[in-house]
Amino acid sequence: MQLVLKHVGKRFGATAALTDVDLTIARGAKVALLGPNGSGKTTLTRALMGLIAADGEILIDGTPLTDRLQIAGRLAYVPQIAPQMAASVDEIVRAIGELRGFPRAAVATIAGDLGLDLAQVGRRAMRALSGGMRQKLLLALALASRPELLILDEPTASLDATARARFFDHFARVAADATVILCSHRLDELRALVDHVVVLAEGRVVHDGPAAAYLADRLAAVIELRYRGPDPRWLAAAGFVAGHGGWWTKAVAAAEKLALVPAALAALGAGVEDLVIRDSDRLELGEVGHA
Amino acid sequence: MTFGRQVLAAARLDLAEVRRSRWLWFCGAAYLILAVVFVLVGLRESTVMGFTGMGRVLMSLCNALLLILPLLALTAVASVIGRARDDGSLELLFSQPLSRSAWFVGVSATRYAVLVLPLVALMVGLALYGQLAMGQRVPWAFVVRALAVSASLLAAFAGIGLAISTVVRNPARVTTYVVLAWALGVALLDFGLIGVLLRWRVDARAVFTLAAMNPVQDARMALLSGLEPELSNLGPVGFYLANKVGASTLYALGVAWPAVVGAGAWLFAFVRFRTSDLV
Repeated sequence: MQLVLKHVGKRFGATAALTDVDLTIARGAKVALLGPNGSGKTTLTRALMGLIAADGEILIDGTPLTDRLQIAGRLAYVPQIAPQMAASVDEIVRAIGELRGFPRAAVATIAGDLGLDLAQVGRRAMRALSGGMRQKLLLALALASRPELLILDEPTASLDATARARFFDHFARVAADATVILCSHRLDELRALVDHVVVLAEGRVVHDGPAAAYLADRLAAVIELRYRGPDPRWLAAAGFVAGHGGWWTKAVAAAEKLALVPAALAALGAGVEDLVIRDSDRLELGEVGHA
Repeated sequence: MTFGRQVLAAARLDLAEVRRSRWLWFCGAAYLILAVVFVLVGLRESTVMGFTGMGRVLMSLCNALLLILPLLALTAVASVIGRARDDGSLELLFSQPLSRSAWFVGVSATRYAVLVLPLVALMVGLALYGQLAMGQRVPWAFVVRALAVSASLLAAFAGIGLAISTVVRNPARVTTYVVLAWALGVALLDFGLIGVLLRWRVDARAVFTLAAMNPVQDARMALLSGLEPELSNLGPVGFYLANKVGASTLYALGVAWPAVVGAGAWLFAFVRFRTSDLV
């Protein structure tokens, strides 16, 4: 599905949530929608789904979006926070399955792969499930519908590592041809799911380009260093923050770590007892690398 | 998917929501109180005093219905859209190929059915219990009249509740509007209007017309005119109208006008829901 937004705007009273957004999302593109809280990401996805009326024009495969039902059957949406519905899992699966025309078995298979046994939880109220279980259910419902447009809002935030890996695997198979819009700052999600990045700030598009270059500039690494030596002044001067047990921590742009680690070892010598270098699990916009 | 199947899917989900909500327990308790009033006060007393006390008993039941039913209907529906919006249900449901109209119709029908059907079961069940277990003569005509009027009164306030639900987003304000709508319905009965008459010397016909626009007043007159059309039962407004238009017209008015008010409010809510932002 190709999406074209022309001069899209939305106001809530005196507040402009979106201003003059021009954007083209090609068929099959995997786009990350980034931006700080209140930047307009949620408003934009809601406008795309037809949940709210917006100014300007939204074209779906060249046709103006005038009715939500034009697009609803072709998209699937996974919210960051699953709704607290009192209906049972079986009732929800049945209702959405009927609306979309897929069998329960399709959901059960994907849910099972993600680690959610529908037979076991089917009679439980959705709101009684844990956050992770609800997220798995929503992901299974979304993937089972084989959508042309998949809108995901921090889809794996509540998942454990295994379920996350299985979701990425399913995603690669099921959503390979789908157009994807992902709202997330999680690096593993961005790496696994997107090839394009759009950044919003105060309701405007401030960046629109390939993901690889954008992420390369902003991937954060965290250097943790345990120092027992006599003089930690070098660490403080280099921007490390002191923690418990002699640990010092600093988040740096990915490229910076290759220079910083040898410099630290040279300056601190035998006082360094341990060293850990890991990826930050979230994309820290504006805090490392380029602002 | 056809509109009917969409309505059915929405109705089933809402029924599940209602089944697990505290509101259903509140509603059940209210109906239980009605049952206790009917059985303990009505049937037990009549076995001691004979049927001479039945009119008074039925009047008590009518008064209880008039107080409780509007409140039940308002609490059943006034938060339905706001709550679904706040807990994310609307966002999830309307990312599916489900039309707004189908959802609205499904939810309206479910809530109304959950309000009316238990009342029908309760009234008929109690009447049968009185007849079969206690050997009472059941005034079936009054039971049918009470059910028709109650169903209409529930429709009026369910419609008003839905209108509140579509207009007011803030949960605290919803509660305020519910209490206000209920208080207006109850307070605009005779005693409130007589107060207005006395204080501002308003023309009697204007007061009676105002009274007749209140669905609760119409329902009350329709219910009570089925008993003895006395001033002590009907109150000044009801007595005036009963003498002016007759008991049958009062009954027709008591069934029709609340239904019209409910339909109007529902239509307003329906149009507003269809045209406003969903989230």
